[in-house]
Amino acid sequence: MQASRARLFKEYKEVQREKVVDSDIQLVCDDSNIFKWTALIKGPTETPYEGGVFQLAFAVPEQYPLQPPQVRFLTKIFHPNVHFKTGEICLDILKNAWSPAWTLQSVCRAIIALMAHPEPDSPLNCDSGNLLRSGDIRGYESMARMYTRLAAMPKKG
Amino acid sequence: MVSDSIINGQAAVSSKDFAKKKRANRTAKLKQCKLDARREQWLSQVKNKGSKEESNGAGGSPQSPLPVSDERKSSLDNLDTRSRGEESSLHDSDFDSMANSPTSNVLGGNDLGKDRPGTSSSSSSSSISSGCCSGNVSEEDDDGCLDDWEAVADALTANEKQQHPTTETPAQPEIPIASAVPPESTNETSEAGTLKPESKGTVPRSAPNGRAWRPDDVFRPQSLPNLSKQHSFPTNAERRCGRGTINWACHSFNSQPSSCPICYEDLDVTDSSFLPCSCGFRLCLFCHKRILEADGRCPGCRKQYDVDWEMGVNGAFIYFCTNCELVRRCIFVTRGHHVCEDLSGSY
Repeated sequence: MQASRARLFKEYKEVQREKVVDSDIQLVCDDSNIFKWTALIKGPTETPYEGGVFQLAFAVPEQYPLQPPQVRFLTKIFHPNVHFKTGEICLDILKNAWSPAWTLQSVCRAIIALMAHPEPDSPLNCDSGNLLRSGDIRGYESMARMYTRLAAMPKKG
Repeated sequence: MVSDSIINGQAAVSSKDFAKKKRANRTAKLKQCKLDARREQWLSQVKNKGSKEESNGAGGSPQSPLPVSDERKSSLDNLDTRSRGEESSLHDSDFDSMANSPTSNVLGGNDLGKDRPGTSSSSSSSSISSGCCSGNVSEEDDDGCLDDWEAVADALTANEKQQHPTTETPAQPEIPIASAVPPESTNETSEAGTLKPESKGTVPRSAPNGRAWRPDDVFRPQSLPNLSKQHSFPTNAERRCGRGTINWACHSFNSQPSSCPICYEDLDVTDSSFLPCSCGFRLCLFCHKRILEADGRCPGCRKQYDVDWEMGVNGAFIYFCTNCELVRRCIFVTRGHHVCEDLSGSY
């Protein structure tokens, strides 16, 4: 409705203003539809996702910001809380812990934080979750690093 | 309480004025607007004080059943009189000593019998005016932030610098400090008999106030008037907050967003005096209503909004609706829309 549109427009202006400050997040609005956004986020340092650039797709509902935006990874990622095939994200703030005070920008930040701190106890990717839960940190990290190289890094040569 | 009702009414009226101002000039920045208005109020208050002082000199005596602002007046204006009133206040009630000190200051304790009849009428009127003043002040408190206070304080002191020579100089030579004390105290005991009943009835809060500035008085004669004036100003503000006329207003000192964090629209005066949750998260009335219709949780702390939030627990928002002329809870006052609900509403 009108309120969500106005809010998204304000957020768009905010994003343009903060573009320089936060280089880890690049939020782009669809040219024709303000309810469709994409974001490019950098994998956090000291994680297997370091060096990768991951693309997120936002679908903003009409009731935004009372309803959370639907976010999923477009880039393949090996992470316990991200569905390996669909890119669906299991994150409480995108579901029941959503607050209208959050913005698309802050959702991106929360997703970066989730990448750095996976929650293996509520897995969408069972393989990844099982590796972490069984304590095989090395196995998890090597798998995640491999998929980061395969999917999230620009092809060389 | 009489003074309380006055304060409430005044707050509503002034908020109405603000709303009008805002409507008339939407593009004008809200903060600037507030600051200017506040400055004007303070300045006019100071002026009033000046005129009161003059009328005292003419023959009327300021025995107002004084609430807050009169004490403030005495603490700000009549700093020189404190030193005299202070000793007698040890055995009398603070209210009496302060109310009387200006009188004896100007009149030297003469013509007390003549003054009596005039006093009662003037006291009632001045009590109303001072009630209004305190209403204004506490209303200012609730949306002010610290830098505004500083600005106001600057304006006040600047004004008083001009005013002080006129009030101080006649008072000083008439009664030397030491000799003034004994005759005053005798006068006050006689006056206390006539005054005390009404003062007790109207202003039970006057006693704790004296405590707040008494430590000031101890070293009052040594220090310069301006210094201690600046000292006493913030303590007065704090005291007023603490008293509980609008105790929730104190929260707003901490952080006051200029726009609603939900819809990013600017908060108007009604919005910015609206504090629906104890966590201090602010938002506009419009968004609050939408959230109540949805899951009803505060965006700041994710707790459920209190069902009886209008009962005054978490910063009540009951106010006098200028359109329907009833005390109502206002749901939505933006963009000319005005939707009110009865207090016995559906929530």
